[in-house]
Amino acid sequence: MTASAPLPPGVSAADFNQALKEFAGVVGHDWVLTSEEDRHTYLDAFAPGDADKHACSAALAPTTAEEVQALVKIANRHRIPLWPVSTGRNLAYGGSAPVLRGSVVLDLKRMNRVLEVNNELGYALVEPGVNFFDLFEALQAQGGKLWISTPAPGWGSVIGNALEHGVGYTPYGVNANSICGMEVVLANGDVVRTGMGGVNPGGQEWQVFKYGYGPVWDLMFTQSNFGVVTKMGIWLLPEPEAVANFAISLPDMGDLPVMVDTLRPLRLDDTINAPYTITNPYRSIMDPMSAQGKTRSTIYKGPGCMPLDFVEQTLRSRGEGMWNVGFNLFDSDKGLDLREAKIRAAFDKVPGAKVKTMRWHRGEPLAGWMRVSPVLFPLAGVDWYGGPGGHINYAPVVAPIGSRIAEVYDMVYRRYVEFGFDCYCGFLNIGGRAIVVNPCTFFNREDAEMTRRARELARVLYKDGAAKGFGDYRAHISFMDDVADMYGYNDHAARRLGDKVKDALDPNGILAPGKQGLWGSAQRVHKGKPA
Amino acid sequence: MNGIRTLLAAAVAAAATAGVIAADAPLTAQQQHGRKVFDIKCLPCHGPGMWGTNALARRMPLDKAELEKRTDLNAVMVKTLMRVGIGSMPPIRKTEVDDADADAIAAYLTRNSPR
Repeated sequence: MTASAPLPPGVSAADFNQALKEFAGVVGHDWVLTSEEDRHTYLDAFAPGDADKHACSAALAPTTAEEVQALVKIANRHRIPLWPVSTGRNLAYGGSAPVLRGSVVLDLKRMNRVLEVNNELGYALVEPGVNFFDLFEALQAQGGKLWISTPAPGWGSVIGNALEHGVGYTPYGVNANSICGMEVVLANGDVVRTGMGGVNPGGQEWQVFKYGYGPVWDLMFTQSNFGVVTKMGIWLLPEPEAVANFAISLPDMGDLPVMVDTLRPLRLDDTINAPYTITNPYRSIMDPMSAQGKTRSTIYKGPGCMPLDFVEQTLRSRGEGMWNVGFNLFDSDKGLDLREAKIRAAFDKVPGAKVKTMRWHRGEPLAGWMRVSPVLFPLAGVDWYGGPGGHINYAPVVAPIGSRIAEVYDMVYRRYVEFGFDCYCGFLNIGGRAIVVNPCTFFNREDAEMTRRARELARVLYKDGAAKGFGDYRAHISFMDDVADMYGYNDHAARRLGDKVKDALDPNGILAPGKQGLWGSAQRVHKGKPA
Repeated sequence: MNGIRTLLAAAVAAAATAGVIAADAPLTAQQQHGRKVFDIKCLPCHGPGMWGTNALARRMPLDKAELEKRTDLNAVMVKTLMRVGIGSMPPIRKTEVDDADADAIAAYLTRNSPR
């Protein structure tokens, strides 16, 4: 430990050093990481402010669930908070950095085995360190008969993404919905297998039936700090006969409501059988530029949010409309024909709508537009202002009613103009029904004034959204309490329930204090510090 | 990792027709391992037309932006930048690429550079 390392709050240097010795007895000295160089690698690489506010005191890197059990027992004895990360690549949400400064990161990246791929039953059983590239490769090695639902950047953990309610772009779009069976190490060191994994001795049913007998626990361990997930089953999409891509463009700035209202029934009855993403005019300009490595200064040099007439002119010169939606359909060729006819008929009624389609057939190489092979280039957007960049996502869940979506977008757009950022905004259809209105604020991390403005914009939007009755579905480690505050019904009954469960399972509050605004009694004193 | 190589094959082919890729000397065992790790850990950003390559291409000629084509890299520098991060590239943790693999990547990327 170097002089500049923070200590876990309330733990003496002597106790901490003793704990580090005990941790080393479990994982070996090489995997108790305390040097300044190592701790630096755990800072939030896209921090919207001073990354040191979320600095860890050390990191531990176990390779087995048994080691995790031993580590949490030691942490309990010394009251040391652990911040579990699976691959630590939840960039824009904190990466591998903890909410509470001085926490010890429990880095599960070395637990990186794909334990089983089952082509017959359509699932994989994975450890937390497996990312989407790893799983994709493992599936390809077994014939590519099963497909992942990869998020925009495929760097992250399959388990981590599902636990954080992340999304992909196949019919299995909400990865949390595809969880089937977990192994979880609880704060007291006990290990539990959920669902059919509880049957002893188990057979082949753990990854085929989610409900087991009695309460269903799996989702309790998502976006929470009630346990450390060390194995997870995930259902995977059997390779379809064909995939169709749709790119639909509407011409005018006022077309957002009709876009939403036209898509809604098609998604609700599963004609559109995978999530769609609507892009606003700014995003329609910025995405293709970023993918080619181009930054803002190549088209616009003025301050503030690029003026709407400039944005409109730019899109028109490319033959594109102001509102665009993209999605893929997965079916047999004949099934796709029926779906396509229905979608075209719906958009034929919308003035100025342009519908473009492409298809892939089984046996052809996977194409990038199918979004079933992992990539990293969407991260390039962070360099919009030249970089080194970062981004903050605002992500309120909104019912897909055109007027309501437009109301939220208007609120967002006005604030982006006020705070002087280009209003990059996507509308992510999550599950069959909801839309997450998802503006991203890109900023240059080395520009303190711009970073401060980006942070303030996020805080203002959380308050605006709460005042209108919206809640975000996800948050960066710096804003987890802000978003928890949006869920205030009955004097924050939801948070109080979470705290009760936390106190029952983890009375010393050693697992991920502050995660999603859940602190528990033992660590609540640290809430909001150092802010 | 052949899968990622395959995914990038079209882009690589396009790049190859645009310019001549220098013929490599045979790789040492460490360099071969380095290439394998590079393919898995680095290529999704540092392949032709990818984010990292594009970001570097804003600051230097394209033949220098593609790390595999560089002839002026230094092993210590490669390893340090992996651990510290540079530009928008975040630091790479030891749990993602351990020291032996980091050395192998550095050996691979510096194979055409003066020692």
